Amino acid sequence: MMEEAIATYREEASELLAELETSLLDLEETPDDNDLINRVFRAMHTIKGSGAMFGFDEIASFTHEVETVFDMVRNGKMTVTKRLLDLTLKSRDHISYLLSCPLGEAVDRSDGDEIIAGLRQLVPQIELPQKGSTEVPAINLPAVSEDELANESTWRIRFRPASNILMCGTSPISLINELRGLGTAHVVAQFDEIPPLDEIVGENCYIYWDIILTTTRGQDAIKDVFIFVEDDCEIKIELIDKSGLIDKEEGYKKLGDILVERGDLSPVEMQKVLMLQKRFGELLVEQGIVSPEKVQSALIEQQHVKSVRKERSEAPQQEAAASIRVPAERLDQLINLVGEMVTVQAHLSQVSMAGGDATFIAISEEVERLTNELRDTALNIRMLPIGSTFSKFKRLVRDLSSELGKEIEMETFGAETELDKTVIEKLNDPLVHIIRNSIDHGIEMPEARKAAGKTSHGTVYLGAEHSGDSVLVTIRDDGAGLDRDRIRAKAVERGLISATAEVSDREIYAQIFAPGFSTAEKVTSVSGRGVGMDVVKRGIDGLRGSIGVDSTRGSGTTITLKIPLTLAIIDSLLVKIGKDHFVLPLASVEECIELTREDVNNSHGRNLANVRGAIIPYIPLRQHFLMADQRPEIEQIVIADIHGTKVGFVVDHVVGEHQTVIKSLGKMYRDVKGVSGATILGDGTVALILDMGVLLHSIEKLEHAAV
Amino acid sequence: MPLNSSVRENGEIIVTSGGRLTIENAAEFSRIVREALEASNVVALEFESEVEIDITGVQIICSGCRSAAAGGKIFTYHGSQPQALTDIITNSGAERHAVCKHNNDSTCIWFGGMK
Repeated sequence: MMEEAIATYREEASELLAELETSLLDLEETPDDNDLINRVFRAMHTIKGSGAMFGFDEIASFTHEVETVFDMVRNGKMTVTKRLLDLTLKSRDHISYLLSCPLGEAVDRSDGDEIIAGLRQLVPQIELPQKGSTEVPAINLPAVSEDELANESTWRIRFRPASNILMCGTSPISLINELRGLGTAHVVAQFDEIPPLDEIVGENCYIYWDIILTTTRGQDAIKDVFIFVEDDCEIKIELIDKSGLIDKEEGYKKLGDILVERGDLSPVEMQKVLMLQKRFGELLVEQGIVSPEKVQSALIEQQHVKSVRKERSEAPQQEAAASIRVPAERLDQLINLVGEMVTVQAHLSQVSMAGGDATFIAISEEVERLTNELRDTALNIRMLPIGSTFSKFKRLVRDLSSELGKEIEMETFGAETELDKTVIEKLNDPLVHIIRNSIDHGIEMPEARKAAGKTSHGTVYLGAEHSGDSVLVTIRDDGAGLDRDRIRAKAVERGLISATAEVSDREIYAQIFAPGFSTAEKVTSVSGRGVGMDVVKRGIDGLRGSIGVDSTRGSGTTITLKIPLTLAIIDSLLVKIGKDHFVLPLASVEECIELTREDVNNSHGRNLANVRGAIIPYIPLRQHFLMADQRPEIEQIVIADIHGTKVGFVVDHVVGEHQTVIKSLGKMYRDVKGVSGATILGDGTVALILDMGVLLHSIEKLEHAAV
Repeated sequence: MPLNSSVRENGEIIVTSGGRLTIENAAEFSRIVREALEASNVVALEFESEVEIDITGVQIICSGCRSAAAGGKIFTYHGSQPQALTDIITNSGAERHAVCKHNNDSTCIWFGGMK
């Protein structure tokens, strides 16, 4: 059970660290944003509090130091500086390291100590405020999240400040206002210790406060309010009501019980007064046992909790569980089962149609409708907004640009665009390489930019948007752009293209994805070895996606990744060669045309088709797969766009569109080129899913070898 | 008018608030009110409309009220309460609508009761 809780903490802390990183990077742009400052503070505070609870003492003590500094920022005692943000980002990395260390084992504290020393240098000496500025404006904390709402508690706080608190420059009212910011508060100032004029020391504080606070933020948040005065002040915090408790009665404790609990009345005195059968509060005041102020304060508590409970009992029950955490494996299992279901349903439809029984067909159609809904819902569950990865890249840009001495900022758009969780994970490496390339080779040094009439700082844009059943991820920079001539020369030198070939810009730019291709004169720590873009291509191919490159010399480069929404089920084109079915991913298919025996004869064995004046090469799949059956008189060419190159695939028949549940081939077939998986058709037969990019590449290699 | 006191013909002492009743002049404010209550049976505060008031000012007013009540004297104010006093009463949770035992079981004219 404890292991589960620890695993959950690790997961949640990782999410908080990601959120923290985003907030810090945003804060760099708007350092005065109180909302962001509070978000950083809350993330640190939660990591610390939960860490201590689950035995991550190193995390708790380290985070406490950073949190303390951000508390000072929150209270206007420090300002956000670049140095503070640098140290806090490093703190985030250190917490991430601590989180990865096995619980209870020794950890390397050197980085942490260095960060703490740096933070301590930033903390200003506490100064007395300027005359007349004793009142600090209240800080309104941002709204709480949904999961916090389920955890509402009511606290009784007695805050008795040190008598010299005002002379130390602290305003009790500011602290009370901070408490008000945590939730719903009723505040009663107690005056009974104010002495007569001949005894009073004007600068001393004699007032103390009773505060009844209903908040979702927990005791730590309340304690944090008093963090700088807790050593000198008397602070009593008691839980008096909690939303998790089952309220037998909507009301609340009797007045006498509250006063006894608070220690303002003894049980004996209460019993004595109860005998008199008058209104209890009046009796207490009449008897001079409790001051009217204290009775008023207790009545306020009674009223506060009564109304909180009433609201709670009237509130809809739906808030209880807005979201639940499910392990990713269970989702994978669900998707697999849905895939099986889709296959069985296709079989059922086929059988029902063949049988011709109207009732059976109706049932089958109903099952089909439900299966489609189930499939869409199941796939949606795995969808995550791509923005969750954007913050990582913002950090990458920040760190790399300062390493290279460039001024680069990152702008993002479409962060809310949703993609399958697995796709997002697999997109990470390609995006890292593309962005590193943009920073290292794309964006120029500030002086060079100025000389070219540009602003000294460059911008890398990263965005995502839906496009049919795909997502377009765009990485654009306003740097120097690709050097077409150098790429061409290098490609010719490496034998990738012929020196005399007429090739479009797009095809030339596509050469940058060739393994080991680099025009960089020097290899830097960031890029230049010609490895990165090859990784990009393989990564995107693995996702069944495509890459587009567009560049204007001097203005910048745009790389567009077209990625399918999901890897589990794809829209495809079902084709037939002989008795066998094959599946081609529909995303790359452009059109289908007929190929007659006459056309074949006219091309004189060169496998080229004339499509509305354009010469398009084609691959006869029957021949490629060494299938011996007789070719039909009229074949079909499925024309696809593969990384900007149009290529045809010759098949016997085009059956039509098909929803393909992807099954991986066993280990035995992992070296088979040109086949990326398989699917089970409605009649139970297996159809291979063709990887058109790899097929094209293998044909090209064969041709080069032949030359 | 600075923080000061003056005696009227009827013996009433008027204490003028000046621009601030805050920690900087808390000692002076308490001394002036104390001396006024020692010298007269009726002491009235006259607030400047833009006066600044902090917790020390609130405490001295309360202390003056209970000292006056203990000595059978009157400690009151002339005119209307300034916004600063209303604000600090609200912010500090100092509203009093019940009777005050330190004020001979009368309602508090300073912090929420009727004058």
